Amino acid sequence: MTPAPTVPSTPQHALVLAAHPVPDSYNQALHARVVETLKGRGWSVDDCDLYAEGFSPVLTEQERRNYHETPDNVTPVKDYVDRLRAADALVMVFPVWNFGYPAMLKGFLDRVFLPGVSFKLDDGKVVPNLTRIRRLAAVTTYGGTRMRAMLCGDPPRKCVTRAVWHVCRPRTTKYLALYGMNKADDAKRRSFLSHVGEQLRTF
Amino acid sequence: MRALIIFCHPKKDSFNAAVLDTVTDHLDKVGVEYRLRDLYRSNFMPVLTAHELDCYLDETCNADPVAQDVADVQWADALIFIYPTWWYGLPAMLKGWLDRVLLPGVAFIMPKGEGDNIQPGLTHIKRLGVFTTCGASWWLTTLIGAPGRRMLTRGVRAICAKRCRTVFAAHYLMDSSTDASRTRYLRTVAARMERLTA
Repeated sequence: MTPAPTVPSTPQHALVLAAHPVPDSYNQALHARVVETLKGRGWSVDDCDLYAEGFSPVLTEQERRNYHETPDNVTPVKDYVDRLRAADALVMVFPVWNFGYPAMLKGFLDRVFLPGVSFKLDDGKVVPNLTRIRRLAAVTTYGGTRMRAMLCGDPPRKCVTRAVWHVCRPRTTKYLALYGMNKADDAKRRSFLSHVGEQLRTF
Repeated sequence: MRALIIFCHPKKDSFNAAVLDTVTDHLDKVGVEYRLRDLYRSNFMPVLTAHELDCYLDETCNADPVAQDVADVQWADALIFIYPTWWYGLPAMLKGWLDRVLLPGVAFIMPKGEGDNIQPGLTHIKRLGVFTTCGASWWLTTLIGAPGRRMLTRGVRAICAKRCRTVFAAHYLMDSSTDASRTRYLRTVAARMERLTA
């Protein structure tokens, strides 16, 4: 009797959110590695490059007024809401700037993670509403050191592993970070790039 | 004292506008000069562009696209942030102000050589005020780790003067606020402002 082969995971649909303005940047190389790794696993990938798509991150006055008016509140960002709702996996690829997400990515949360989409308010309590997302990952680079980030409470790590996690309740969460980008040499960058590939192959 | 107020709310008639009034009333009362940067009303563009990132480290020109903001930051010795907390953090509009204005050569001194670290560049800022409103409770915000609050009271504070005097106040559970809770909060803001300007 031969041992049962390892069961490959069922192909999933991933939404990849990328937020770096420079196409030939290291962050975009990470983004490319994420997309190709997931596609290599037979997953379908919705590759959403917020800069390339010209996403506007500013929640407008009208959107703020209609914020709680479900389901009409999704109208201005209907396409993005549909793409988010279709995802079984969410991967965010971004640089950390000034202790947080780039405004571009923060604006995606502000405008698209709406009541009725990412959470429901039940008697004033937040109830997770993106539970289709079973896998959540962030791939990110910090200019400063890990210690420096920790002294500030590492806000971007908490945003992903607690705030976004809270509305998805995924089975798996990965936070892959390269600290000290300002001083990282080629070897360190290459090794993080392959680390990201490996982690997403088994994600 | 010279204060730069960075105000961020999409609605003119929001409760945050009442917080702003409380802050400016206090500054007027004690005769502190201030400048107001109302990000929404001035259509601030929060997206750091590829071009800006290309010259990010070039301190001779990285501040050109946001020259007035940089001049305001350099003029001030106190920063006051007023904003709603969304997703436990700053609105993209305000986050983008940090991204584009707190530049190398302005807010950070980049490492010059092997083993150097990033050095604070806002050491002329001696007072920091942060006033916000949160939909979530204090408990949930704390459980998440209050990333918005920490981004400012730890992250930005770390590049300001040593022992920068810092005040913070938040109105939690904003969606179930009452006239009484809002009035109480505005009183807290006024009291914190007393401490900030003392």
